[in-house]
Amino acid sequence: MMDFSPSPEQQERIEKARAFTREWISPNAARYDRSGEFPLDICREAFKQGLMNPHIPREYGGLAEPVLDHCMVMEELCTGCSGIGTVIDANGLSQFPVILAGTDAQKRRFLAPMTEELMFSAYAVTEPEAGSDVSRVKTSAVKVGTDYVLNGVKWWITSGSVASWYFVLARVGEEPTGFIVPADSPGIVRGPKEHNLGQHASNTVRVTFEDVKVPEAYRLGAEGDGFNIAMSTFNHTRPGVAAGANGITKAALNIGLSYAKRRRTFDKKLISYQGISFKLAEMMTRLDAARALTYKSAWLCDRGVDNAREAAQAKWFAADVAMHAAIECAQILGGYGYTNEMPAEKLIRDAKIYQIYEGATEIQKMIIVAKLLRMKEVF
Amino acid sequence: MIDILRKLIERTSAKLMRRFCGRTFACPVCHLVLAAIDANGNGLLVCPVCGAVLEIEDVYGHIVPVVLDMELHRPQPKARLHPLATHLPIGLFPFALLGAAVLLLASVLAGTGIGVTLAGAVQGAPVLADAVLVLLVVSVGSALATFASGLWDWSFRYRRRPYWQIRLKIAFSAAFLALGGLAIALHAAGLVFAAGSGLMELGSPLGVLAGLLYLGALSVGMVVLATLGHVGGTLVFGR
Repeated sequence: MMDFSPSPEQQERIEKARAFTREWISPNAARYDRSGEFPLDICREAFKQGLMNPHIPREYGGLAEPVLDHCMVMEELCTGCSGIGTVIDANGLSQFPVILAGTDAQKRRFLAPMTEELMFSAYAVTEPEAGSDVSRVKTSAVKVGTDYVLNGVKWWITSGSVASWYFVLARVGEEPTGFIVPADSPGIVRGPKEHNLGQHASNTVRVTFEDVKVPEAYRLGAEGDGFNIAMSTFNHTRPGVAAGANGITKAALNIGLSYAKRRRTFDKKLISYQGISFKLAEMMTRLDAARALTYKSAWLCDRGVDNAREAAQAKWFAADVAMHAAIECAQILGGYGYTNEMPAEKLIRDAKIYQIYEGATEIQKMIIVAKLLRMKEVF
Repeated sequence: MIDILRKLIERTSAKLMRRFCGRTFACPVCHLVLAAIDANGNGLLVCPVCGAVLEIEDVYGHIVPVVLDMELHRPQPKARLHPLATHLPIGLFPFALLGAAVLLLASVLAGTGIGVTLAGAVQGAPVLADAVLVLLVVSVGSALATFASGLWDWSFRYRRRPYWQIRLKIAFSAAFLALGGLAIALHAAGLVFAAGSGLMELGSPLGVLAGLLYLGALSVGMVVLATLGHVGGTLVFGR
């Protein structure tokens, strides 16, 4: 038997996130988008309400929230502002490598404190010459005694200038290896905030490692495990990214619907024209399809089943749906969709990154094809 | 330093706006900041600057205004009394504050060696004190006329519709009249400046207290007046 309805606990989480979005995120979305400031006050409140660090296991003080439940929450948060939603959620991307491959001591040292006070961490993998092609990272880690010495430049690191520690992928010889690097280690230089097209509230910076000493105890797994750790992290986080894109689609749909029901042209409500109403029908259908893919990939992840293909499908499809919905929303609003006094244009700017980060759309398709190549038949 | 001060003012005013006006949004036509609570029961609100008839709806916490119509034919007298009348209090009050500040400085310096070299200036203190009082009386007195003309403007031009700007202007005008009235009373009663020297009596505790109260009323009055002028300006010129 299949049940598509959320459980009472999930419904409670959705409603809590929705109330938080209405009270804290949506009213401040335009302000943070314009100023580009880091939304620390909103993060404080999100932390207080238990909306941050949901994946940390219970034995380390966390909620051990299933990925599926987290997707439902993320969709709500990103309906208010995907930039602020990303800030609230970004810790998860760097926490998962520790959850998946960390020792008990590493989890107690780096994860447990994040449940006690508001802290940030960052996933430092991307480099100027290695984005989608993670295996090309050049940051080096040289073993010197019981320490590793890291040198390299990490690029577009979300929450990079507020993080207390980083998950860093570096090469030991030719072997990509994962490290947990405390942000106060001597030799770490944080760059200025990058001025991106959208998600202005999100803190994206360059982080440079200059002879940074990292104890061997902070290495994740064995030497050479880094690539697999970094990739398996995505199987857990991509459903959440897809859910964020669904949040944008939901915002675009709601704004477009509200506008079309009230705006009059040629003495008729906009929604009475099929040219407009069909756009809304398509947006709703695409949103439901994207949700189905997202929830399935998250559900598989929670069951411990390999969800690489489904997570890639969800991330690609939801990102494209969000981009399409944001553009259609602006089209429904006409000239008002193009002005920055209305929320539609921000959705377009924010949606674009979903087709790029955590693996560009083309990478997702490569993952799907790679899985297809291993199948004899598709059932 | 200036940047920190600017950010502090911005944050404080944003907090006050949220506290007293609730959710705000920009008019999609003229960009004036409007408060959602000013909409009527049907969610309708007319922008006081451009006349856009807006229907507003809260969509997932986002305020989405829709322009339904434009109110073009609004009572627009050729000579709008209120904007003209505001020039008098706004123009004169800063000079009253400046004069009071000069007198305070002269009072402090009079007891020091530097005061000797400023003897000529100190001799003119009684005249300056009288001038400050005249400026205050004209400024605050004309503010009464400004207040009355503002109410008239609100009744006719803005049709007594609720706007956060008008509420703020009424409250701040009352505050300005009270502060200005207090300053005039202290000054006219001779509690601040001595009748003969025209300087503050910094030797007596009562003199110091009256002086502080006087300067405090003038300084806060200046902030209130500047806010009134700024908010009133947005109603005339838009954002």
